[in-house]
Amino acid sequence: MTAVESPALAEQVTLLDLVDRVLNTGVVLTGDLTLAVADVDLVYVGLRLLLASMSTLESSAERAA
Amino acid sequence: MTQTAMRTLWCAYAVVGPVGEDVRSAVGAFELVGDADVAVVTGRVPASEFGDDALALHLNDRTWVERVAMEHQAVVQQLVPVATVVPLRFGSLHRTRDAVEEFLHVNRDGYLAALERLRGRVELGVKVWLAPPPPVSPAEEAATGREYLERRRAAKQEAAERRKSIDGRLRSIHERLLAAAEDAVLNRPQPRELTGDPREMAINAAYLVAAGDDAVAVQVDLLRTEHPDLVFEVTGPWAPYNFAEEKDA
Repeated sequence: MTAVESPALAEQVTLLDLVDRVLNTGVVLTGDLTLAVADVDLVYVGLRLLLASMSTLESSAERAA
Repeated sequence: MTQTAMRTLWCAYAVVGPVGEDVRSAVGAFELVGDADVAVVTGRVPASEFGDDALALHLNDRTWVERVAMEHQAVVQQLVPVATVVPLRFGSLHRTRDAVEEFLHVNRDGYLAALERLRGRVELGVKVWLAPPPPVSPAEEAATGREYLERRRAAKQEAAERRKSIDGRLRSIHERLLAAAEDAVLNRPQPRELTGDPREMAINAAYLVAAGDDAVAVQVDLLRTEHPDLVFEVTGPWAPYNFAEEKDA
């Protein structure tokens, strides 16, 4: 398994921290095209599901290997 | 569609102030919209990716979201050493430079207040992980059904007591770190499905500190020694993302 396929845990956690901060915190601003706060939350739920399903896939692939 | 693909939008990343020469050089290719007291850090992004319809699709693309989040963080982070930064949540997109200016004009007082409140502050992330629970004693050792049930009940009770004692320790850990910081936000611990870690995350907190103040780091080192069965992880210093919005009084 290469480093690209399986990043170090610390890197994964950092990316998660980063997504958490950039999408979930910070001042909410309104622009003329701005995503509504609710939209981001909904999208983030989608992202979580996506991440969750990916990690499930990965672990079942590991079990199968 | 082809016209949309060529257009650019203005993405706002953060508010900074005061705007000195060091801030101007730190933003590099990004543009400051504002004046010497307060400015919005902006950059042009392609409408084909960030426009109304495209954005909704891209936001469900994990790779895209990760790349955009990293870019957003990179813009914000490069300003941390030279200025007080109020990070904006991702998604402040404007059609024109004038719209960004208008946007700053309307919110100016609020941003100046936020800059004042967060002057010289950064946030540290602290996560505390629990060791995986001890393995349940194998059922085959029990000679009878009743023995098995009794063991099950005892194990359950033990787990509940363990949890109760851990909760008390976690509370005191947070109180110690809060005392070393100016403010704190307790976020929901990240679930195992996302961390991919067999351990359970018990604390996922952000502490607001003066830049360069190591009081929280010193406490974490002490706590590591006092709680050898817990794993402490410190990240940052970050721009004060978790403290950018003023708490409701």
